[in-house]
Amino acid sequence: MSKLLIVIPAHNEEENIVRVVGELTEKYPQYDYVVVNDGSRDKTAAICRAHGFHLIDLPINLGLAGAFQTGLRYAAENGYDCAMQLDADGQHLPQYIAPMLEALESGADIVIGSRFLTVKKPKTLRMLGSYIISWSIRLTTGRAICDPTSGMRMFNRAMVEEFAQNLNYGPEPDTISYLIKNGAKVKEVQVTMAERTAGHSYLNLWRSAQYMIKMSISILLIQWFRKRDTENPYPERRM
Amino acid sequence: MLDQPIIRVCLILGSLFTAFFVLRRIRQAKVQIEDTIYWLAVAFVLLVLAIFPDIAFWASRMLGFVSPINFVYIVIIFFLIVKQFFMAIKISQLDSKVRILTQRIALNEEKAERDKLDL
Repeated sequence: MSKLLIVIPAHNEEENIVRVVGELTEKYPQYDYVVVNDGSRDKTAAICRAHGFHLIDLPINLGLAGAFQTGLRYAAENGYDCAMQLDADGQHLPQYIAPMLEALESGADIVIGSRFLTVKKPKTLRMLGSYIISWSIRLTTGRAICDPTSGMRMFNRAMVEEFAQNLNYGPEPDTISYLIKNGAKVKEVQVTMAERTAGHSYLNLWRSAQYMIKMSISILLIQWFRKRDTENPYPERRM
Repeated sequence: MLDQPIIRVCLILGSLFTAFFVLRRIRQAKVQIEDTIYWLAVAFVLLVLAIFPDIAFWASRMLGFVSPINFVYIVIIFFLIVKQFFMAIKISQLDSKVRILTQRIALNEEKAERDKLDL
């Protein structure tokens, strides 16, 4: 079995972190994990230390992309074969890690834990963004990604290194579309997700709209102009 | 003034060059994509104003400007002030982040030295 690192980015998740990491360590001790505390203003870091969780504590807030990249740098520097993102709010259920890992080992660069692979995507306002991003990826790459906004993604060793070292590799749909265009093999695995039980979601209507506009412009327009250079990654960040 | 083709050609070239330089920076992985969307939007608006001068004519009639080119200037000044404002906020945030990081490094080093002295 490949050595997997579960990266858990946490920003102000004191109400959820114990439950999420506790379940992971109790029921799935075979997986390594690391909590990346993204400069939380609440007691997330202190709680992790008190429970003896494996923690990387960022002194300032970097945002999700920066926090997740920290975890991937850790994975790359410590010889992990693959890494995945697991949200600290308890949305992502660890029972789907095994099927995702299986899909990755059967030959994929990226595996997305997808809510809408076999389940019909609801036609609600909340899913409008998801529809638009799916459509943008379809238009620019010809590939159907059923749940592009799912944060539950698993990456193989090559992808971990690429994500860890480069600029503009946020864990977002635009990076996925860019990588598909450059020949990366992306698979989806059907998962169900839990509703957030405590704390606040970062996304409100305004932020969702901003995110949507940014992703659409990025996928439809900007990604065409990017050049993939895996030989000479962003030099300032070279490991 | 805007009815003369030369100024429109300049506007078109200016916005195309802006877009070109921004996209080249992205290609070389020298800038983060979220920081470029503003400049692409500015280039797009100036391009639209240059290609369809009727917009500027209409707006200057509405707002009472003597010359439609003044509307174009106002739009450019508006973009610059907005950018200036958000850059001031961004710099202030970066300033505080540098301070926190510097303190963190110094405190960590102090701790490492103290641990060494204890041995």
